[in-house]
Amino acid sequence: MSPGFRASLPVVIFLLAGFAAPLIAVTWFSFMPARTFSFAGAATLENYRTIVESTSYISFLWSLGLAAVTVVLLAFIAYPVAYGLVRVFGKWSMLVTLLFTIPLFVSENIRLYGWVLFLIKNGVLLGTIKSLFGVQAESMLFTLPAIILGMVYVYLPFMLFPMSLGISMVPQDTRDAAVDLGASRWQVFREVELPLSMPGILIGCLLTFVLAVGAIAEAKVLGGQQIIPITHDIEIAFTYAQNWPLGAALAVLLMLVVGALVLLVLRRFDLDVLLGRR
Amino acid sequence: MLNRASRMRHSLIIAWSVAVVIFLYIPTVCIVLASLTASRYFQFPISKWGLDWWTKTLTSIEVRQLLTTSITIALLVTVVAVFLAFFGALAFARHDWKGRSVYQKIILLPIFFPQSVLGLALLLWFNTLGLPLSWKTAVFAHLVWIVPVVTLVISIQVYSFDPALEEAAYDLGASRWQVLKEVTLPVLFPGLFSGSLFAFLLSWGNFPLSLYTTGADTTVPEYLYAKMVAGYTPGVPVLGTISTAGAVVLLIGGYALITLLRRTRSTEQGGQDA
Amino acid sequence: MTDSTPILSLKSVRKMFGPYAAVDDIDIDISEGEFFTIVGPSGSGKTTLLRMLAGMDQPTSGDIMLRGERINDIPANKRPTCMVFQSLALFPHRTVGQNIEFPLKIRGEDPERRKARALQLMALLRLPEHYYAKNVMKCSGGERQRVALARALAYDPQILFFDEPLSAIDYKLRKTLEKELKDIHRETKKTFIYITHSLEEAMVMSDRIGVMRAGKLVQVGTPHQIYTSPTTRFVSEFVGDVNVIPVSLGARGSLRMAENGRELKPPKLPAGFGNGYLVVRPEYIRFLDKAGDADNAVEGKLYNEYALGSRIQYQVRVGDAVFVVEKLRQQPFSGKLDDKVIIGWDAKDAILVTD
Repeated sequence: MSPGFRASLPVVIFLLAGFAAPLIAVTWFSFMPARTFSFAGAATLENYRTIVESTSYISFLWSLGLAAVTVVLLAFIAYPVAYGLVRVFGKWSMLVTLLFTIPLFVSENIRLYGWVLFLIKNGVLLGTIKSLFGVQAESMLFTLPAIILGMVYVYLPFMLFPMSLGISMVPQDTRDAAVDLGASRWQVFREVELPLSMPGILIGCLLTFVLAVGAIAEAKVLGGQQIIPITHDIEIAFTYAQNWPLGAALAVLLMLVVGALVLLVLRRFDLDVLLGRR
Repeated sequence: MLNRASRMRHSLIIAWSVAVVIFLYIPTVCIVLASLTASRYFQFPISKWGLDWWTKTLTSIEVRQLLTTSITIALLVTVVAVFLAFFGALAFARHDWKGRSVYQKIILLPIFFPQSVLGLALLLWFNTLGLPLSWKTAVFAHLVWIVPVVTLVISIQVYSFDPALEEAAYDLGASRWQVLKEVTLPVLFPGLFSGSLFAFLLSWGNFPLSLYTTGADTTVPEYLYAKMVAGYTPGVPVLGTISTAGAVVLLIGGYALITLLRRTRSTEQGGQDA
Repeated sequence: MTDSTPILSLKSVRKMFGPYAAVDDIDIDISEGEFFTIVGPSGSGKTTLLRMLAGMDQPTSGDIMLRGERINDIPANKRPTCMVFQSLALFPHRTVGQNIEFPLKIRGEDPERRKARALQLMALLRLPEHYYAKNVMKCSGGERQRVALARALAYDPQILFFDEPLSAIDYKLRKTLEKELKDIHRETKKTFIYITHSLEEAMVMSDRIGVMRAGKLVQVGTPHQIYTSPTTRFVSEFVGDVNVIPVSLGARGSLRMAENGRELKPPKLPAGFGNGYLVVRPEYIRFLDKAGDADNAVEGKLYNEYALGSRIQYQVRVGDAVFVVEKLRQQPFSGKLDDKVIIGWDAKDAILVTD
């Protein structure tokens, strides 16, 4: 038994029991008859049939669409900051990193609630406008843009940090060499900087996409049930509807989408290079 | 060294980053403002300031119970996560072995997984095993997500660890245990420390996993959520501010400590960056 | 080549980092087609100097002139010069061919001409044709070196800069590549400006060498001049093992060794010489049968010997002083360790330097 294998055992065993087993259980459950709570029933595809015949696909599309929009917006919002962290801020970049890290450790629903207080009628934004200009503006709370704002806000650090890791992997020499060989700013970016930092950018996009597909609080807190994401459907099935097999089947479908995407992207990366710079 | 165009570009980047940081802290500021209102409902501009809700919240027995539950969970998660992740990180970054690249990707899977779905899957799993839900099952649930994160955090330190140090210690007559105690652990300490900081804070702020796995026990984020959805009182922003402030203090304190440690180390060891 | 304006001319070039002058008041003219090497220990400012020449840094004061035109403010991508980096800075996401074609692609040349030029350069650098589509990270150290050089040549620069590109390569391959580089220099007739910390490397390749120390150029000359007539102790010691004897002017135009007051017969004394160092290269010191066989002779004990391939080096202790003596392996010598020996040299073979 190699030392590496031995050292991996505690974590691997733990993840088998705490991650693999629950997912297997969920998958198994998705084949049980509707509204049952045991594993003993006869396997059936009934739950999947229910899903296909229902309007769940709308929730699926909302979740995937919102996640895609979030990723695209985040890529543009985070790139300049990530670039700044690596190349512009110098000794300040530690502080900036800290500023972006802190929110990660505060429960997202508290922070989203801060947005409610900001956006709500007579809240910080509209209250200020009213007292300054005497205008009573319409609140954007409980609209689609509010949900997107919340998602962009919550997942910003998850895009930023992998991205800056990726940018920091582009050696200064390589950029200098490109300039020296006649490349303009834009050409250096397109030919050298962007392709070489792509691993970090892709990891950031993948991470935010996956987390955003599983988002539930944003739609509830900021969207006021205007939009029902798939996670909400799953939660309903598990809780109010007490139809675990249906919820499990929905979860399996979501897991398939996420899993396929993750495996597809992660397969291409050498994590040693990304994390350890060997 | 900088010409005008790149100075311009740098200014734009700095301005943009400042704007993003402000965006990031708008809700926090709003929460703090709301906690300082004396009235029952939040109205801006605030007409009556006051600390009444702070006293009310701090003296509430219910809140104390919440804080105890959250801290207990976070502490247990920290201890177990760092222990598991220490070995996990050695397998991740220190040893070269056959299954390593597969193992590295397995570690990432729980991180790249929607947490709300993970919470429900664990709920179903605990139910299958016949385990009653309580703060103890929540500890387990948190670990599923936090152990991989902490493994990555410690791995980054392990990558910069020169295995020759351990070999040199063996060569100088140290036993396996002595090598671990005298060489490996002290050298990896900064990584273990940041790992435990991450573990504690991520558990402290976690909502989606707690929601489905705590049973009758309630953590701070869960309580806040319940109150937000139904029955807002200014106690919500007060507790939110406490939760945020706790994280900030711990993070900045921990960061200062680690910086101090690195500095003393590097002066002692002649500039060798840990 | 007969053009009298130097291709590159530096006038009082200085680079300050805060109060510290990394490059301090450098004046130099480099002529067309020259292979000029700047040598100096690490921290002597040679890389900073090169980066200014290439346009990656701007001098704090002074002028850099290319064929008589001031180019201080022209950025690297607009200068007709190109650099081979210490790290080589090859683009890891590109093939050998794509790396070489990079400057041509930037310039907007069509793919066919690009490829033709790349293959031509690969042939010049003896890279096999099928390497064109090979991932550059899969090449060996020496091959990468050639790719980096080919890429720089593809830019068709008027001057090529080299920032210690051979420093990370093992000894044997380095020796081969040094000669190859000199051959390429002959082939392309371009101006090469090379920096290195190894004077040995500089000697092999250069037409002229400039020695840098603490931001200043302390001596410029041909390899022969640097080797045989160093003007300072620093330069003389840079070449390799030398005997450096602190001396002062003694009676009747002789030199007095600072250590023991012994009188030595000097080489030609520079006017106004007071004190300094007498430098004697180990190969000019020989073992003598008797003290009268050379202009200067001292008696000492043979302490140790080191085989250096074609030569053998000996350490001889004379009191507290240590002398290094070298002889060719085939020259007969029967001395054994701890034997008493007489060593000596002729006055004309020694050099007097100041510090």
